This record gives sequence, C-alpha cells and structure tokens, in this order.
Amino acid sequence: MRTQIRQSLDKMFTAFAGSVVLLIAGVLLVVLVPMFRKGLSAVFFTETVEFRKLQMDLHDRGDERTLKQELERVAAARKPIYDILLAFSRGLDMEPRVKEVKNIYQQYGEYLNYRNTPKEQYTECRKQAKEIRDTILDALESMDKQVVLANLDKALAQKGNPTFKDTPVQHFFTVAEQYRKTAQTVDLTKRSEYLAGLRDVTAAIRQLFGPLPGEDEPPLPMDQYGATRMDMARKALHTLLWDEQWIADGPGKPLVKKIIARKTQFTGTELEPLFDRVEKNFNALLLPRHRFYWQYFIDDWVNSHYFGGIGPEILGTLLLTVLSMLFAVPFGVVSAAYLVEYASDNIWIKIIRICINTLAGVPSIVYGLFGLAFFVITISAIGKPCILAASLTLSILVLPVIIRASEEAIRAVPQTYREASLALGAGKFRTLVKVILPAAGPGILTGIILSLSRAAGETAPILFTGVVAMGPIPNFGTPAEWVRNPASIFGGLFQPTRALSYGSYDIAVGDRISMLVPHQQFGMVMTLILLILVLNVTAIVIRSRLSKKLRGH
Amino acid sequence: MKTVKNHFGVFAAVVLAVMMFVSIATAEEKSAVGLDGSTTVGPIGDAFAEVFMKSHNCSITVKKTGSGDGVAALIDGRCDIAMSSRFLKPEEFKKAVEKGIYPVAHTVAMDGVCIIVHPSNPVKELTGQQVCDIYMGKITNWKDLGGPDMPIVAISRDTSSGTYEVFHEKVLKKQNMAAGVEYVNANPQAYARVKTTPGAIGYVGLGFLDDNVKSLKIDGIMPTKQTIADGTYLVSRPLFLFTNGYPKLGSVIHAFCIFYLTEEGQSIIEAKGFVPMTNY
Amino acid sequence: MKLQEAVAPGIRMAKYSAQIAGKSKKAAAGFTRPLLLTPSEDMLGFLSGHLGRAALFLITATSVVAVFLIFYFVIRESAPFFFNKSFPAAMARIKEFFTDSGWYPAATEPRYGGLALIVGSLYVTLGSLILAVPLGLFAAIFLSDIAPFNLRQICKPVIEILAAIPSVAYGFFAVMVFAPWLQKSLGFSTGTNALNASVILAIMALPTIISVSEDAMSAIGRETREASYALGATRAETMVKVVIPAAHSGILAAVILGMMRAMGETMVVWMASGNAGRIPSPWWDLSQSIRTMTATIAGDMGETPKNSEHYYALFTVGLTLLLFTFSLNLVSEYLLGKVMKTSRGGK
Repeated sequence: MRTQIRQSLDKMFTAFAGSVVLLIAGVLLVVLVPMFRKGLSAVFFTETVEFRKLQMDLHDRGDERTLKQELERVAAARKPIYDILLAFSRGLDMEPRVKEVKNIYQQYGEYLNYRNTPKEQYTECRKQAKEIRDTILDALESMDKQVVLANLDKALAQKGNPTFKDTPVQHFFTVAEQYRKTAQTVDLTKRSEYLAGLRDVTAAIRQLFGPLPGEDEPPLPMDQYGATRMDMARKALHTLLWDEQWIADGPGKPLVKKIIARKTQFTGTELEPLFDRVEKNFNALLLPRHRFYWQYFIDDWVNSHYFGGIGPEILGTLLLTVLSMLFAVPFGVVSAAYLVEYASDNIWIKIIRICINTLAGVPSIVYGLFGLAFFVITISAIGKPCILAASLTLSILVLPVIIRASEEAIRAVPQTYREASLALGAGKFRTLVKVILPAAGPGILTGIILSLSRAAGETAPILFTGVVAMGPIPNFGTPAEWVRNPASIFGGLFQPTRALSYGSYDIAVGDRISMLVPHQQFGMVMTLILLILVLNVTAIVIRSRLSKKLRGH
Repeated sequence: MKTVKNHFGVFAAVVLAVMMFVSIATAEEKSAVGLDGSTTVGPIGDAFAEVFMKSHNCSITVKKTGSGDGVAALIDGRCDIAMSSRFLKPEEFKKAVEKGIYPVAHTVAMDGVCIIVHPSNPVKELTGQQVCDIYMGKITNWKDLGGPDMPIVAISRDTSSGTYEVFHEKVLKKQNMAAGVEYVNANPQAYARVKTTPGAIGYVGLGFLDDNVKSLKIDGIMPTKQTIADGTYLVSRPLFLFTNGYPKLGSVIHAFCIFYLTEEGQSIIEAKGFVPMTNY
Repeated sequence: MKLQEAVAPGIRMAKYSAQIAGKSKKAAAGFTRPLLLTPSEDMLGFLSGHLGRAALFLITATSVVAVFLIFYFVIRESAPFFFNKSFPAAMARIKEFFTDSGWYPAATEPRYGGLALIVGSLYVTLGSLILAVPLGLFAAIFLSDIAPFNLRQICKPVIEILAAIPSVAYGFFAVMVFAPWLQKSLGFSTGTNALNASVILAIMALPTIISVSEDAMSAIGRETREASYALGATRAETMVKVVIPAAHSGILAAVILGMMRAMGETMVVWMASGNAGRIPSPWWDLSQSIRTMTATIAGDMGETPKNSEHYYALFTVGLTLLLFTFSLNLVSEYLLGKVMKTSRGGK
C-alpha cells in the first residue's frame, strides 16, 4: 500500500479513537444532565403561597403574621373568581332542585300523617302529589325547552286546587315558577356540555387554589392545598384555559388531538370573564417567590411523595452502608494484609484468590437470593427482612472490592519501610500494624470510599432482605430506654427501612401520584447520584494526592 | 501516621451520631402494624396508614408486593393485615389452616378492572370475547376492530397480581395469554405504558382512570361506580383486607379494618377512585 | 535525734534516686538484659505468632466460606424444583426448563419453561457487547497509546464516574428519558424493549472493557511497539496488527468481564426491557420486549410465598445465572493469568 494511504488511514484511526472517547464523555453528559436539571428543581424552585401554607401547617416554618397577611390578600384576590364560579354553577345545577322536589313530596306525606288523615284520602292525595312531582321532575331533567315549559305549565295548572291549599305542595309551585323563569333565559340544550365543562373548570380551580370556600376539607393532603409550585400552577392554568378533545380524522384513522380555548365553550354565559381574570391576575392570586428548599433532604414525604422530601430514604441508605462497612472493613483489610504479608504460594492461597474473584463476579441478584435464603430464613435470630440482614448481604457484596483495594495499597508500600522497621527490632505483626497499615492508609481509605459508593447504589441485594417503599423510620429507642435495657439500642436493626436506591425504582415505576410530580422522581435519583459522585470524587482526589506523594519520593 | 486510626475513629463517631440522631428524631413507644399485599389496594392502605399514624400513636408499614405475597406473609406471620384484590385460593386457605391461621376477610371497597386504550384510539367498545382474542394473540391489529392500522400492543399485569387473576378468570376464562403480551409490575406502570403508546391496550383498576387514557365499554357496559357495585360490569371485584382471625376489639388493627365504614374512610376510598361499600 | 536528723536528707536522697532509678529501671532493663529470650518468652512468641497467623488465615478464609455458602444455599433452595418426585420426572423437568419457552408459574397448571428467559438474557448481553466491544477497544487504544499523560489523567476519572453511577440511575434514565425518546423519534411501538436495554447495558459494560483492555495493552511493553515502529509501521498498523493480537488474551478477558457485568445486571433490564416472556419473533428484531433471568427473579420473588414451587423455580433460575457467570469468571481468570505472565516477562 502506498505510504500516503497508510498515513491517512493512520490519521483516520487516531481521529476515530479520539471521537469514541468524546462520544463516551458525551454519553455521560447525556445521562447525567437531564437528571440533574430536573432533580435540582426539587430543591430550587418558585413556590407559591400554598407552599408556604403547607410548610406552616406541617412543620411550623415561616413567619405566621406575614403568612396570615398574604393569605388575606390572596383570598381577596380570589373572591371575585369564586363568586363568578358559584353563581354560574348555581344557575345550572339541577341536583339541589331535584332533591328539594323529592323532599317536598316526603314532607307532604308526613304532613298528611300528622293530620291523621283517613287511609283512602291519604292514598288519593299522595297519588295526586306524586303526579305533580313527576311532572316537575320530568321538566327538570329534559333538555327540550318546549317539553320543559309544557310540563311546568301542566304542574302549575294544579296550583289552584283546593286540596293542596296551605300544604307543603305549595312549595312545588314555587320551584316550578322559579325554574320557568330560568328556562326561558338559559339555553338548555347546552346544559350537559356546560355541566361537563364546569366540572373540568372547577377541578382546575381546585388544583390551583385548593378547596373552594365552604367545601369540606378533603381527606387527602394533596387535595387540601392548591398548587404549591409555579410549574404545577402553570400546568393547572393550562388545563383551565384550554380543553383537549380527540376528534375523528376519518374512518380507520386514529383520532387527532384538538386544543380548544375553554373561553369559546362558555361564550355568552356568566363564566366567560373568569378565564381572563385568572390569567391576568395570576401572580396576585398565588404570590410566587423563589425558594431554596434545602429541607428536602430532611423532611419525610406526604401523600405518596406528592409533597415533602426524602429524608428517611437518605437516612436508610446511610444506615445500610455504614453498617455494611462495619462488617466488611475488618474482614477485608485483615484478609488483604494476610494475603500480602503472610501468605505463601500454596494451593490454599490459590483457592482463596479464586474465591475472592468469584465473589466479585457473582451477580447482585444472586446475592439477594443468598441473603434471603441465609440471613433471613436460615438465621432464625434475624428471621425477617431487616436492616441487619440487608447490611450483611451488602457487606459480602463489597468484600472483594475492599480486599482488592487494600491489597494494592499494602503492596504499594515500599519494601524499604518494612526493612527499616524490621531492622529496628519490630516483629512482623508489629510492623504490619504500626508501619504498613498506616502507610497504606490513604489507599485503603480510597477502597473503603469506593465500596461505600458501590453499596449505596445497589438495589438488587436489598430487595428481598430489608427494604420497603413505605415504612416508619427505624426506631432505636430513647436514651432513657438504653439505660434501662442496653440491648434495645439494637432494636432498630431488626426493622426494615427505606433506601434511596429502592425508592428511586419505586417512584419511577410506582404510584400514579408520583407521575404527577416528576421533580420528586428526579430529585431522588439526583440525590443518589450526587451522593455517589461526591464519594467517588473524594476517592479520586485522595488517590491523586497519594500518587503525587509516592512519585515525589 | 495516625490516618487509619483517625479514620476509624471518625467512622465510629459517624455511626454513633447517626443512631443518636435517629433515636432523637423518633423517640416514642409505638405499636407496630404491618400491611403487605396488593398494589391495587395499596393506595388505600397507604392513605389509611397516613391518617392512622397521625391520629393513633402507632407505626404502620405498608409493603406493596402483590396479592400473592401479601396472603403468604399473613400465613407466615410476617404481617398483620394482608391486602388482596382477590379472594384466597383453596391451597392458600388450606395452608393457612395448617399453620393455625384463620383468615378473616374484610371487604373495604369494590373495584372494576377497566380496559384502557390510548385516547387517540377511535375504538369505543369491545366485547369480552374480542378482548380475550386480543390477549390470546388471535387479533393483532386495530384495523380488525374498526380502528386504525396499528399493531396492538397488549399490556398485562404480571402473573402474581390480583388484578391479573381477576382479568384472567373473567375475561380470558383461565386460558393462557399469548407470548407477545408485555408484562408490567404494577397498575401505574400499565397506565403509563398505555398513556404513552398509541397502539396499546391494557387493564387497570378503576382508581387509575383519568383524562390521559380512555376506558372502553365492555359488552355494552361502561365501568362506573353503579355498574361495578351491582356487578353488571363484567370485570368487577371486591377488594379485601385479610387478618388472622377477627381482630381484637379496640386494637389498632380492628380500627384499621373498620375504617372504611367511617365517612373519612369512604371519602378516601372515593378520592382514590374506588367504589365505597356503602352509599354509592 | 541528731543522727536521724543527719541521716534523713540522705535517706530522702536515697529514696529519690531509687525512684529515678526505678523509673529508668524498666527502660534500662531492655538495655541491661542480654538479647536472649527466656524459654517461656520464646514459647509465647512462637505460639502467638502461629496462632495469630492461623487466626488471620481463618479471617481471610471467610471469603471462601462465603462463596461456598452462596453456592450451597442457591443449590439447596433450587433442588426441590427438580427432585420432588422420581428421577424421570426430574429429567423431564430439566428438559422443560431449558427447552420450553412458556414461563407461566402462577397458572393453574404451571409451566416453568426457562428458554425465553435464558434467550432474553443472552440477547441483551450480545446486543450490548456488539455496541460496547468496538467502542471500548478504540477508547482503550486511545487511552493507552494515543493520549498524552494529562489527557489520560482527565479521561480516567470520567470513565470511573461512568462505572460508579448506580444501576438504578441508569434504569431510571432508560425508563424516563430514553424510552420516550425511542418511541417518539424512532417510532417504535414500545420504548421499553431489547434495544433500550442493550444500549444502556453497553454503557454500563464500557468502563470494565476499557480498563481491562487498557491494562492488557500496557502489559505488552514498549519493546514490541518500538520494534514495530522501527520496521516502518504507522501507529494504526502497530495497534491493529501487533498490539491487539499480542494482547488478545487480555482483551478477551475484558470482553468476558463485560459480558458478566451485562448478564448479571438486574435493575436496568427490569425497568427497561418490557418483561415480555417470549423469544422475539424475527430474531433480529430488537424493538420487541424481552425478559431476562435477572428481571424474572427480581420481579417475581417479592410476591412468591416461601417454599412454594414458584420459589424453587426462581432459585433454579438464579442457579443457572450463577453457573453461567461462574464459568465465565473462571475463563476470564485463566486469560488474565496469561496476561499477568506476559507483564512479568513470561510467555
């Protein structure tokens, strides 16, 4: 081949290799950046007055007087909107009228009983009243103006009937007259459309501002407050102002989404000005402000993560990883020291090394199976999935990592250290403990930090051995109890816990409610990644300082 | 160099500090109640538990791993209340009696399994037989049902779910599903898949319906509170809480199991989208 | 009296000097005694040395104990799946597990056909290797031969961070960001499919492949490369024709380690592969959902009552997985042993 071709091939090769590395760096960014962007909005966001109200109610945070003033201002701004809404719905709502008519009929029955009417007269009067009642009910239910007016006239014809003078039946006629007036002005054919649209509008208003004044407090916390964040408020505003409908595009084709302004659905009614009002005064209705919600990392969640933070999950992850380190580090460091210092090259040592490498290669789900079979079931002292079982499983998982890192660190200690120590008369064990381990300290520490990060991120081993999606914070008792019964300090170890890793899985595919709050989902994953990145960067920094020191020697 | 010793000291201090913090944060005597089971009944269990933990001084753990494991946990004694979206199977009942557990069912709500499709799908109703054929792989394209020319993506709950059991029994008449059916692990996942996939069909509980998916009429009947409560809708079922024997009067478990009869409990059940046992 | 008065300071002095002498006596004892151990001290030293060694050996042997326990328990809990009736029934069961592709454990007549699961695992693993091996090799070549020292110091942490991101985070990304993108821009009927899982698994296997290949290539040594350059080869030709073949055992080990990582991964495939228990019907169609062994165990175990047949079947799946990865582990260790020999100057 000609030299030029070979040289250009060489250049292409180099360029390709370089671009692959750039691609890998790009992939890292593509994976991390969206999660950080959306996750940070769980901590830095624009809040509304509803959020401040929530914080005050749940955690007593914030100034009570200013909050009260703000709530009054907001109530004043919202009042006209509520008035419009209520007036319109009262004009349209048939249910109270239907109930009223049925009530009147019952009252008439009681009235007759009270008067001790004889049986036949009772049956006859009730029958006539029932006819009037049914006519009015038909009028209330019908959409056709002619039918309504005809029925109402038929009912009102009975008005002069002497049987019903001074009886509750007179109320029938008042209701019929009132409705006659409404029926002549309101366009009844559109009533069902108005009702459906009104339902959506009321739901959107509730999402924005919380329960309407005069309504009972809803049972679920997520309905008790309006939109707590401006991004959710804007979404609710969008639902308020625009309606989505799926329109047929043609036979055999999927429906097409059409977006219609709700204002056009209610032209000519009292409800029309509501939309402009809400849109123009949006800020005055919600009083937004920027907020750094650092308590996100401490608070517990409310209502399936709709509100609140991820404090217990972080605590659970910390407990699990620190406990697993407590079990794994002594075994790991001692094993590594033995393998480097004392081991001779016989068959047992070969077996041990093969086993350590095998442990490193076992899939994490098989660790979970083993943890379930051994720590939870076979060791009856534990007996159920709990923190102890989960951390024991995690400690076996990270054991090979610690052994490998410690071995490298101990091997990296220069031979001169050992020789000098031996020359001064120290024995092998004393050398190990007082000279070599401290010298290998930073390397071992790097290994510990890396295995911490590995243990924090693992989900499969803890799935069946001790993690739950919702549960109380593990209870370790009070100092008073510890004095009485020292063993109770370990009571908390036998309870299951939540964790960041499992929580991220559960919130990504779990509750429908979590889908409504993507900032919470991304926030949890972001916290996990942040924790692990911090640990890894620390390890990298320690290692680079260590290598600089060694090179300096 | 004291680095290693110092670091171990730091570690021990961190562990102690963590445990201190936790104990101070949660220092109360609490009685503990464990719930386990169905992901359909799960939201009701969660909501009840939240209300209960505030009003009664107790700690309630809710695990949502599926009706099968909830009942198994009750039989093994690992939980106090099992949430189940189906009644006990005969083998489970036998096993329970063998172990000395006498399961008592409390019906907390009624639920309907609604067949949902993407809102852009013009198909409005199907017969039970058609749904059965879809899931058995005999119908594979929407155009055979009067819809657009799109392949059908059938989504099912996994085999240990109570929702799956009811669907399997009442719609598929206990036949096996086709191999191409996608399995998801929980109701919300099924909902999310149908919401984002135009050609999808799936089934979820009544509580998961909203504007982002469209529920179909089956055999001419729309799943609503009324049709589910009187059983006219094909796939309606009661939701259960199982306890070991009737719970002791006055205990937290007893209060939990009758909470659905109170107004607050009923409003929670309705808010979650199920049909309360009374006053529908 | 006078005598006592006269002697008292002397006695005080004597006591004081005795005190000093006593303090330094211990210190001085080491210097004044001959450097010979008494027999008891010698015996004590011998015993404590050897006992200490034995104790340390036992602690080190916990890893062996752990491995044995893992194998024992997984085998023990999966044995009842096969051996609950007679031997022919057991053989039939094994045959069904490996050849039948219907996994219906909770049906009225349960079928435990693991073929779809095994094929699913192999499918995503191979898919991820097809993506990861070329990319990983090129990246390793870049890092070991092409990049200057400073650039290498920057790239190594980047790769370490890629390796450190937990699998849940990758699964989250796959389900929340990647799957909708696949559905929207590539028009797949479902975004959670084999392609999704393969790509994410490739990203996860890359760091392993890169680091092990790089070690293997560095172990070759400068002489081989310099000899090739001396004969007039360009860098590309050196890498392709000399270094890679010389390091082939290490690179093969890297590929196998990447394969182990991809096969053993649970969370990503559980969330992103769709969990449809079937073999894709045109076998090259990556846009269909598949189910892997790891996702089956993770998904079904929480809902299975202990000591039921389904439970034993799941342990059997775990055993299959364990045997696969264990054998791959042994092969990769053998290959890495060859690499170590070359780096120490063998071959």
